[in-house]
Amino acid sequence: MRKIYDVVVIGSGAGGGTVSSRLANLGADVLVLEGGPKVNTRTDFNTHAMPFEFASRSIPTMKPGKAGFDSERSRGLGGKTMLWNAVALRMSQRDFKGRQFDGDGVDWPIDYADLAPFYDRIEREVGVCGNLDHLEDLPDGIFLPPVPLKCTDKMIQAGAKTLDIPIIHVRKATLSRPTPARPSCHFCGNCMSGCDVVAKYNSADVQMYPAVRAGKPLTLQPNSIVYELGISDGKVSEVRYLDRETGKQNVARGRVVVVACACVQSVALLMMSGIANSSGQLGKNFIPHITCGVEAFLEPQIGKPVVNDEGFLDHAYLPSFMHSRKRDYPRSFGAQFNYQNRRSVGWARSFPGMGQAYKDAVRAHYPAYVTLNGYTEMLPNEKSFIDLDPVLKDAYGIPLARRHWSLSESDWARYNDMKEWNQRILKSAQGKIHSVNQHPETNHEIGGCRMGSDPKTSVLDASCRAHDVPNLYVADASVFPNASEKNPTLTIMALGLRTAETIADRLKKGEV
Amino acid sequence: MPSYSTDRRGALKILGAIGASCVGPVAGDELYGRTADEVATPVAPSFFTKTDFETISRVSELIIPGAVSAGVPSYIDWVVSRNAAQQALMTDGLRWLDGAGELSVVLHPLCEAADAGRTQGRMVQWFALMKSLTADGYYTSRVGLVEDLGYKGNTMMASYPECVHEH
Repeated sequence: MRKIYDVVVIGSGAGGGTVSSRLANLGADVLVLEGGPKVNTRTDFNTHAMPFEFASRSIPTMKPGKAGFDSERSRGLGGKTMLWNAVALRMSQRDFKGRQFDGDGVDWPIDYADLAPFYDRIEREVGVCGNLDHLEDLPDGIFLPPVPLKCTDKMIQAGAKTLDIPIIHVRKATLSRPTPARPSCHFCGNCMSGCDVVAKYNSADVQMYPAVRAGKPLTLQPNSIVYELGISDGKVSEVRYLDRETGKQNVARGRVVVVACACVQSVALLMMSGIANSSGQLGKNFIPHITCGVEAFLEPQIGKPVVNDEGFLDHAYLPSFMHSRKRDYPRSFGAQFNYQNRRSVGWARSFPGMGQAYKDAVRAHYPAYVTLNGYTEMLPNEKSFIDLDPVLKDAYGIPLARRHWSLSESDWARYNDMKEWNQRILKSAQGKIHSVNQHPETNHEIGGCRMGSDPKTSVLDASCRAHDVPNLYVADASVFPNASEKNPTLTIMALGLRTAETIADRLKKGEV
Repeated sequence: MPSYSTDRRGALKILGAIGASCVGPVAGDELYGRTADEVATPVAPSFFTKTDFETISRVSELIIPGAVSAGVPSYIDWVVSRNAAQQALMTDGLRWLDGAGELSVVLHPLCEAADAGRTQGRMVQWFALMKSLTADGYYTSRVGLVEDLGYKGNTMMASYPECVHEH
């Protein structure tokens, strides 16, 4: 008889890592199935490589001979937390109850107060640096000291102040002070190429490996690509997976199953299994973030000496300000900025001129270059959804997931206003605009498996459990009913902690 | 910090630093990932003919003086040899240049048109491609990024320096 775990967790990123480690620490017997291989963040990524080391001048993610991050289904233990930028923002009551605040969209079935204690604990657990800013719409947390702003951040901050717009220290799950287990950040600027000292949080080194080392009942099984959940008596009874290397089929069993495959892949897995969709809402309400990038040169910095300001990418953040101003659309936007590496000089392509004068001008503008990338949400609409490609399959013979998205009139109004404000803010800091991205782009996949109180209009209940399947939970950004403009990961982790404790409680009571 | 000295690329990195770059007519950057034998044998361009490669070299040098010593022509050859659409544009561009007159004269109007966004003409498109490839190749080379622009990052800092300027 095959072993039956208390909980099988599918996926090992911010959601899967948090849920599995918390459950194991509470004594539950947990199996983590990860599609990708085990990846060693200290040795396997091209963390400190430079472009001129490669004929293509682009740096491959992995070192030669190291497997991982070769497809959406096959990343590696730790998932995208291995390569994320670590921005860690709490969502506010306005984000959870947007419909109550300004109409349109849907409300979450929980309030900020429900999640606040879990935000507190996850921040303490993983380490988040930031400043206490006392903003009405971006709740403060349990922070390590913030990292100083860059010179160019301060200039943008001073400009924005003339528009009565605050710019704050970014909040990141990267250590600004060492802990007994991890060093603090050394500002090499390679956060998104894998942090080889684990100053930046990743779920493998910060949550799962420590639980395993402490002898907790946590089994990590990489190279296991889950393609179907089998149901019997209305419950998930089998987790069916392929061996990533041999293609051999296998089965795992657990009293509870948690799907945490990063939004689109979680939705795809439930669709392939044909479950959890009595509402007809599975795959609908796909609401990725919409971004708009602007490049500029801060005139006072042109011709100034070059300094090493790469830091840990972006050091500042533009929190939402439009939510309290007059506008003709619901919701608001924020912006990440100045996160470019000084090693990326792609703007030189479109910088005017040629010859020695061009070369001199590029050199003079190099220390003055900044980017500002606005982030806003889209509200759920009929034309934005996830489905399975009827024809195309991936290398493992599994149908590809497709993303469809389309902005509504009010989304366009918000996006266009964000585009204008981005330029206005940079101009207020004597920024000479170099380029403005003319088309909305998506980032941070969110929605498709939303939680709600009504089983007719949502896939999951307020505890992230499927309305239709009593032993099935989802733990990633697919559960968000509304996205907010804030980066989703800290909320995924806080929800994950809450979900883990709900499951542990139900296991203890013998309910599952 | 992990030690990279045992792998091939790491060994070559050290070799490059102590003077193997004077072995052949290649920039130090191009040493990466190649054995000493490979370096000693000049690499023939894989897409361009010898004559076309010389033309491409002169054009890139006119766009960014120093491009040739930064290994930009080889980078352009590497990229174009993997892109069919770019090959067609390059072929057209080189054919047009042949007989168009003195390079240093004919490129400037193309540059002005590209800067002004008048990119309907095939030759302007060709120039824009050459400029993009030259800028990419040059500013991702050690010569362009580190020596010319003065890139200082990718190092370890004990703490992040507070800005001391008045803003």
